[in-house]
Amino acid sequence: MGWARRCFHPACWGETLVEFELEGTEQYALESYQWLLERILIDMGISTMVERAHFVIRPDQTLFIISLKVKQSGGKRPVYDIAEMESREGGTYINIKDESYAPRLLATLWRTYGRERVQQLTRLEIFVDGVPSEEVSDMKLDPDEDVRSQLLDALWRLLPEGLKIRQEIYDHEVMTIVATEHGMTVDFIKEAEKVHNKMIVPEDD
Amino acid sequence: MYEVLMYDGGVHKIEELFDLIEDVGGFVLQKTQVQVMITLTFAIPGEDRPLIQAKASELGGKIIEVPLAGTEIAVIGPTLGRHHMPHPICDIAEHLRRYGAITIVMGLARGRGRKTCQISAAEKAIIEEYDCAIFMLGNFKECITHEKIDLFKDIQIPVVTVVGPEVESLPHCEGLVCGVGRKVERMRRSEEIAKLEEIADRVKDVIGARRKEVEEDPLFVHPSEVKDALDDMDAVQVCLRPAPVVLHVDGLRVKIPYKKHLKELEELEVYGHKLKDIATISDCRLGDSTIIKIRTKAEVEGRVRS
Repeated sequence: MGWARRCFHPACWGETLVEFELEGTEQYALESYQWLLERILIDMGISTMVERAHFVIRPDQTLFIISLKVKQSGGKRPVYDIAEMESREGGTYINIKDESYAPRLLATLWRTYGRERVQQLTRLEIFVDGVPSEEVSDMKLDPDEDVRSQLLDALWRLLPEGLKIRQEIYDHEVMTIVATEHGMTVDFIKEAEKVHNKMIVPEDD
Repeated sequence: MYEVLMYDGGVHKIEELFDLIEDVGGFVLQKTQVQVMITLTFAIPGEDRPLIQAKASELGGKIIEVPLAGTEIAVIGPTLGRHHMPHPICDIAEHLRRYGAITIVMGLARGRGRKTCQISAAEKAIIEEYDCAIFMLGNFKECITHEKIDLFKDIQIPVVTVVGPEVESLPHCEGLVCGVGRKVERMRRSEEIAKLEEIADRVKDVIGARRKEVEEDPLFVHPSEVKDALDDMDAVQVCLRPAPVVLHVDGLRVKIPYKKHLKELEELEVYGHKLKDIATISDCRLGDSTIIKIRTKAEVEGRVRS
């Protein structure tokens, strides 16, 4: 089956830019899961973040593989771009200017220096204990982190509930999950890896 | 034969309709008043319908057919997880309510999966307390035709299955509707509403067949006549649960504790008979309710003679 430029379901027409490749033994299952993924992505507001999706569904073998290629975002943004910093006695005072980055900056600071050293003074003011302002200002915030966790959430919503044995393969821009019911076989993983690699470097049609 | 109908109109002179229903030997099953509008579900002898119809027109209201009134239907999904709830299971349950049915939604403990799906004896017993069960089985044809059919194999009440892929027929079920698989949003498009109608039609057929079966060996009294007597019980009057008495095709569910009220229920008088003589009273599997199965005329009269 070739690339589907748009979802088969009329309700999705005009709303999605995801390219799908469907592979499997049951046409209805493939089309319905394509439609489900479309709706879940739209529901979560992340339909523009996915470039391509590849499904392998074989209910007779209880095999479900889904692979998503994430669209490249604008890249990492340095902290000095989104906040003002001031060296104070014993640490750095940060005043966030771009509110949309506030949660990500706080999470990054917590992860890097620990919760004991990072105090959130107000909604947009943070004090980092014992860290020079130059060090904080050179830190970079990765917008893809949020996208990845949201996509993972979307995939967990999509995967059939009974297929509890799951394995993930992911790299910078492609995320693949292979799921089955009883035992994961080497063949299933190999097939998932094949799909994963094909998503990174698409074969010429 | 009693017929269950719904009146939808204003409250002006509604007492006249109440009186007429009583005069023809009918019963009010449910009354919902919202400001000056009232919705009334009632059972009347079939031959008196023209009288009621004329009175409803006189009062400026309308009579609506509720073919599923007097039934309690279970809509069952593989689990209560977000993969299956609230759509489409709750959509189906909600749509059937428009036809007068009381519906409940149920998720199995281990109904998901292919080879691992299963149903327990307790779950089967709970399902069998209802008039009809609707099973939602998902999107995979292979899984439905080979494994999921075992979920309802031994269920003793009529079963309607709702599946995604086109399947010609399935064993162990009385009705089958294809084209409704997993959903992540409300069924509100015209083609989806048509599918809900199809499900409702299939359920109407199944319930109609069940009613005919009951008519062949008629019940000693209609469940609504027992409801009328039950409504006078103090325990029922103080019961705060919605619809404390629910009609079934061949009995009732009373939402009062079985152990506490068994004696009172047994001694309840219906047309000169004690309830224990004309019905089987048993505990409900879902706590704090009582199930009453009315015996057939032949059973009761046979007992009296012997």
